[in-house]
Amino acid sequence: MAEKLIELKNISKQFPGVLANSNVNLTINKGEIHAIIGENGAGKTTLMNILYGLYEPTQGEIFIDGKKAVIKSPLDAIKQGIGMVHQHFMLLPSLSVAENVVLGSEPKKKKFFMDYDKAIEITKNLAQKYGFKVDPREKIEALSVGVQQRVEILKVLYRGADILILDEPTAVLTPQETDELFNVIRKLVSDMNKTVIIITHKLQEVLAISDRVSVMRQGKLIGTLPTQQADAKILTEMMVGKEVLFHDLHREKVSGEKVLEVKDIKAKDNRGLTVLNGVSFSLRAGEILGVAGVEGNGQSELVEVLTGLRNLEDGDYFINGKKITDVNPSNMRNLGISHVPEDRLTMGLSKEASLWENLLMGLQHKKPFVVKKIHLNKKKIFERTDNLIKEYDIRAIDRYMKVKKLSGGNMQKVVIAREFSFDSPILIIAQPTRGVDVGATEFIHNQIMRKRNEGAAILLVSAELDEIMRLSDRIITIYEGSITGEFKNKEVTKQTLGLYMTGKQNKLKGSEDN
Amino acid sequence: MREAMKKINLSYIISLALSIFVALIIGALIMLINGKSPFIGYSALFSGAFGSKYNLATTFAKTVPLVLTGLGTAISFRSGIFNIGGEGQLYLGAFAAAYIGITFTSLPFFIGIPLAIIFGALVGGLYAFLPGILKVKYKIDEVITTIMLNTVAVLFTSFLVNYPFATTQGKMNGTEIIAQSYHLRRLVKLSTLNTSIFFMSFIAIVIYYLMEKTSIGYDFKMVGQNRMFARYGGINDKKQMLIAMVISGALCGMAGVFEVLGVHYRFLQSISPGYAWDGMLASLMAKNNPVGVVLMAIFLGALKTGSVSMENATSIPSELVMVIQAIIVLFIAGEAGFKDKFVLLNIKRKSKKAGETNA
Ligand SMILES: Nc1ncnc2c1ncn2[C@@H]1O[C@H](COP(=O)(O)OP(=O)(O)OP(=O)(O)O)[C@@H](O)[C@H]1O
Ligand SMILES: [Mg+2]
Repeated sequence: MAEKLIELKNISKQFPGVLANSNVNLTINKGEIHAIIGENGAGKTTLMNILYGLYEPTQGEIFIDGKKAVIKSPLDAIKQGIGMVHQHFMLLPSLSVAENVVLGSEPKKKKFFMDYDKAIEITKNLAQKYGFKVDPREKIEALSVGVQQRVEILKVLYRGADILILDEPTAVLTPQETDELFNVIRKLVSDMNKTVIIITHKLQEVLAISDRVSVMRQGKLIGTLPTQQADAKILTEMMVGKEVLFHDLHREKVSGEKVLEVKDIKAKDNRGLTVLNGVSFSLRAGEILGVAGVEGNGQSELVEVLTGLRNLEDGDYFINGKKITDVNPSNMRNLGISHVPEDRLTMGLSKEASLWENLLMGLQHKKPFVVKKIHLNKKKIFERTDNLIKEYDIRAIDRYMKVKKLSGGNMQKVVIAREFSFDSPILIIAQPTRGVDVGATEFIHNQIMRKRNEGAAILLVSAELDEIMRLSDRIITIYEGSITGEFKNKEVTKQTLGLYMTGKQNKLKGSEDN
Repeated sequence: MREAMKKINLSYIISLALSIFVALIIGALIMLINGKSPFIGYSALFSGAFGSKYNLATTFAKTVPLVLTGLGTAISFRSGIFNIGGEGQLYLGAFAAAYIGITFTSLPFFIGIPLAIIFGALVGGLYAFLPGILKVKYKIDEVITTIMLNTVAVLFTSFLVNYPFATTQGKMNGTEIIAQSYHLRRLVKLSTLNTSIFFMSFIAIVIYYLMEKTSIGYDFKMVGQNRMFARYGGINDKKQMLIAMVISGALCGMAGVFEVLGVHYRFLQSISPGYAWDGMLASLMAKNNPVGVVLMAIFLGALKTGSVSMENATSIPSELVMVIQAIIVLFIAGEAGFKDKFVLLNIKRKSKKAGETNA
């Protein structure tokens, strides 16, 4: 019989205007992997934040090992052995990995000074123990999101957590990294007696890793069931409240002009190392070109170069056949490029700003949103804001709500809504459905396809091969800053792509030759 | 109207009111310990600030430099560039105005006064441009450079008024009196309240409009909140920061101009008792909200004016008000504009506590 470790009893959380949790009863057993799923805004993060002491519940009690626990702050949570890795990271970008890991209980030298060497050693040992690949001396800002997440997890482990809450940890990971993470999680549970709560939108992950799964909908806990008794269909229905049908995307025949072309472009990463090593490709109107690659092989930098956010060191960049000499963000926007960035919070949004301010970005100097040169025309701005909120089903109290108060998936919808509303001829889209629920993913895919059918040229970068294969007309693979292959979508398998993405295409040729 | 209501950050207003209240309570305790009645003390303070036409006028006279420097701080802080050099810009602006007033003595008022204001603003703006350009071009921390430039400006003007521009009429550590046509009219007998309050009101409305209602204000705010997002959206973040810095310096410069044209009629070696610092406090308390800055400037102006009367009437030293101000600063330091700068410190401190309990 499973031993109860945590019991949440009758938890409710009222935010101004939103009942984020409503009478939630949830039991977590010792040593289990417990998945929590639900649509965007269902209240998953809120519930976990309550358990972690970040929010005080409006009502309800928490029991740990059968005893009533008072968790008023993360401090209390850590004392109870609870650690959390947040949906959006909370690392200090200018510090090194080791400093971030030990921050809070640093090894000391002469009582006052941090023992940096010791910190490095600790981090190295921790990483080794759990099988993570990280360089303790590297600065956080130089790391990919995937690696940053490992640092977050290490940090929690360093604090000695027995119960790990992971809020959408796989949203930012590549499939390989996800597998690695799952191995770590399994090891933590089986060898080290940890308990793991994991939030995710990906049902196959729930089925693959969890022992039990709880489903939330509109603040309520709909039910908890053993994973063996669950399948994708049952879970989806529980989440959405009705059966969800997936339609095939409608792909029209469009043959357009070449609108974007790059020849032999090169770029450096934040550390000054070459990450794009002579990349060439072209993009036509009415086409989706998927870029498949393992994270960290230059695709993030490619997106930044194309949108003017990163210096183009060498090579030529053409839009509509014209060579672009001054590649900067405002220029690229004026030339008709919209950009959905891979990381919504560092680049795609201002979380302190309101919904309308976030949706306005890029149009603040354009008529009719500004009149008499500088006067913001609030009437027009609000009209557009409210239309977008409705059209993209952004769950918010009103247009004045600060974006930081939205749920993660709804933040993503804000970015998508803004960038898609410009009707740009070129869309550069990175990780469009990161942290987005099934229904909204379907919606976003449909929007991308609609844009394509209307004649937009779309570059799609995604860590999800399934997403790339579902949407793209053509796929290029990128490995260590170079394009290793180009394929028509229909004519390639996942396995082949996988080999090209990891630079092992020769193996394929070899075996074909034989 | 609905929009206005939505924008008001009620929880912050409550916490600010609470910190002011607690600070006043602590002030009362200090009075008690010293055997004074806080009741009498505070009523002397209140009537000293608002009790008569003269007192009211004095309070408002004090708010002129506070509002200008406060708005100067607000516009720079909101844009993510931290102008702590208001005091220096004020000194240079003041000297610039005095220079015009003693040099072009035959200009009629309707040319001379605007000239002095514009020149003072220009000098203040340029003096802020320097640390601004160092920041955006060479990433040199503007907090440090602006603080240092304060000292430079104060010492430089002090040199000017003691040597090349020293008055020949007695030992004043000031310049000559500016020509009569530059004097701004006094509004209430005996008090220094003068027509600069109208200029100030006009400027405040312009700045409010700029910050809250225009695309420029939007760009400022976005750059201040998330520079990456601003760049991504096509805003030239460096240019915006520089513009904000120059406007900030110009506002502080104008604060100095009005001290010369309206209050002292000359530049004095110590023309400001730290107006820019109080202005900054007003801005911090108001979280860089222009309307809030004006309200907080009035509040601080009243505290300053009232404390003098309180000292006269009850012999409670006027420095008590400094203590009260300091306590307010302490309370809001974690909340208001400086947050970002201190966030690292804070996290370190907090997680340190967590670590200790864990160990
Ligand atoms: N600080 C806050 N103030 C007001 N409302 C909030 C706040 N935090 C969350 N909410 C609201 O509570 C609801 C639940 O949000 P929560 O972040 O828990 O959703 P979630 O299930 O984690 O969604 P996602 O999958 O998109 O991350 C949402 O409607 C959200 O807008
Ligand atoms: Mg969430």
